Amino acid sequence: MAARKVYASSENALADVFSGATLLIGGISQYGIPKTLINALADKDISELVCVFSPCSEFGAFPLTALDPLLKRGQISRLITAFPFYQNTGSLIESQWSSGNLSIEVIPQGLLSEKLRAGGAGLGGVFTPVGIGTSWSTRYETQEIDGRQCLFLEALRGDFALVRAQQSDNLGNLIYKGMERNWGPVMAMAADITIAEVTDIYDAGDLDPELIITPGIFVNRLIQSGQS
Amino acid sequence: MLDKKVLSLDELAFKVAREIRPGNVVAVGHGMADVIGKRLSSAPDAWIIDGYGGLISTHGASKSSKDKQGSSFHGVSDVASIMHGGHVDIAIVEAGEITASGDIVSLSTLSTAGLLAPGWSVDLLDNPRRVIAVAKHFNSMGESVLKSNCTVNPDGIGCVDMIITDIAVLEIGDNGFVLKELVDGWDIDDLTADGSIHIESSQSITDGEVDKEEETELSKLYDTGVAAMSDLPDGATVMIDGFAGPGGMPHYLLVSLRDHGAKELTIIGNTAGIARVVNFGTPAGKQAIDHTLLIDNGQVSKAVASYPVSPSASRPTAFELAYRRGDVELELVPQGTLAERLRSGGAGISAFFTPTGVGTLIAEGKQSRIIKGKEYILEKGLRADFCIIRGYKADKLGNVIYKGTSRNFNPVMAPAADITIVEVDEVVEVGTLEPDEIVTPGIYIDRIVIRPKDFSPYE
Repeated sequence: MAARKVYASSENALADVFSGATLLIGGISQYGIPKTLINALADKDISELVCVFSPCSEFGAFPLTALDPLLKRGQISRLITAFPFYQNTGSLIESQWSSGNLSIEVIPQGLLSEKLRAGGAGLGGVFTPVGIGTSWSTRYETQEIDGRQCLFLEALRGDFALVRAQQSDNLGNLIYKGMERNWGPVMAMAADITIAEVTDIYDAGDLDPELIITPGIFVNRLIQSGQS
Repeated sequence: MLDKKVLSLDELAFKVAREIRPGNVVAVGHGMADVIGKRLSSAPDAWIIDGYGGLISTHGASKSSKDKQGSSFHGVSDVASIMHGGHVDIAIVEAGEITASGDIVSLSTLSTAGLLAPGWSVDLLDNPRRVIAVAKHFNSMGESVLKSNCTVNPDGIGCVDMIITDIAVLEIGDNGFVLKELVDGWDIDDLTADGSIHIESSQSITDGEVDKEEETELSKLYDTGVAAMSDLPDGATVMIDGFAGPGGMPHYLLVSLRDHGAKELTIIGNTAGIARVVNFGTPAGKQAIDHTLLIDNGQVSKAVASYPVSPSASRPTAFELAYRRGDVELELVPQGTLAERLRSGGAGISAFFTPTGVGTLIAEGKQSRIIKGKEYILEKGLRADFCIIRGYKADKLGNVIYKGTSRNFNPVMAPAADITIVEVDEVVEVGTLEPDEIVTPGIYIDRIVIRPKDFSPYE
């Protein structure tokens, strides 16, 4: 039988997260953020993290981002995102990027999603015509497929994924609530270790099989969320 | 300039809503586009896709609205599939710069100078049927959104059809900007700061106070399976789900397709009909309905399948026999690769590198590549003209839920065909299905038929 997936604390669930690790962090702007896990990560003595989180803020909105606990401690060295900050709003991402302490790789949101999905599905990468004709064509390898120019998007995976779900069972099957669903399903597939922060953890068999979105196969660890 | 009237967001949203037709799929970008997307309550029954979290709402329902009838929640990769897969009728993007040839820099890209971060903009502008750019006409520096040239790399080239700002409505015509509407108190010369850009004035510039004609979306519900596929031509490619048992198989639509009679079909599916020879649970004296109906009726000329043969040599499938006679062609695809090819077809992915099949016959003639030390082969996305799928329940908008293992190939096939027809046990009122439980959004479903109550999957 599978090893026990429900961890007593975030600290335990994050024990082996190492400096330099690539982290896929679920959530968009303020929706569906694994806040309990992020706060616990900020308490760890690790740095040089590569974080995939996108978009970091809602356009024109509050400058605070879900990554601030990590940014304040200077734990992130590289960020991969479709939208990092709304300029001149006092975002920590902008100030750390301006001062050269944070490098940012920008990828259009849908292309980032395809890179992660490819990583999760065991593909080496995908060819898409999206972005051909724009300057994105010059940033990626291109190849003609059946008469149509395409960009090559190499698969992207993380060492860890931190995702937020509303319900799970103790096997790690996940159900998201509303807008929380955003990155959870694709990021959970695309990491070596996926840790889910869940509000309600049930016994196996208590969730309706038709409603499970992420099968427990993709989820290694569960913690009780401190969020309501 | 400052004391002249500018349109409120509600007024802007009204002008955007006027452009939306019933049943349109409308995808909104960040910022003002997102704000307008939440105010499209005056739009007819359309699908509004909220890029932030994957809410597909209908009737202009907002994130905070309790009225989510017909709405559903999906992940980012599902939203990307809708955009990349060419399923969007209208994309609404907040513009920072627009040129007379329809090039656009989104405001998100323009306002992250040095990084040019597009958010969803590049995805949104890729291949919708129409692009509507929304904008504040002047930025805080007093510069017009209308430009001779973009100052940074555009997110979309020649793709803008209409521009709706807080003072004017313009279209992109053969000779550049064409003014359609102007808010009272403004002059055409106000629209560009330096007057260097020519703006053609349309015949009648209005203040936009026009009545909108009433339109209703055509119903997706058809009386019979045959009626739902009346335009399925000879030579069509048709996707059909189905394993060895009855699960997931659109039995009623298979009978309809036989009755319809189209010939020279290419069928794409996991099997090419093995349920009849496997006979899981088939009552004595009966035969299971599967693709055999089409083979025996001489309608199939090719199959793309992973398991078209019988598990028992003594009971060959109809397709095997036809293949041995030389009546049909076959393209064998490993099952997971088939699923991925279908997913790619629906999601606008042209091709992908997979490790499946490396070193086997499947790899012959295919491009290969070593990526991070592992060998992959290139497989291509797969689409069809028609797809017949088996759902459990649908609402009248075409949102579908499945039952048990019947889910198998159906959700991945539904987005991958030009016309997708679903067979369901029951059609329910819009709002009956929970937004979190809908598997296939109605965006992908063109036609719905109810499997007759007395229909038997055996004959």
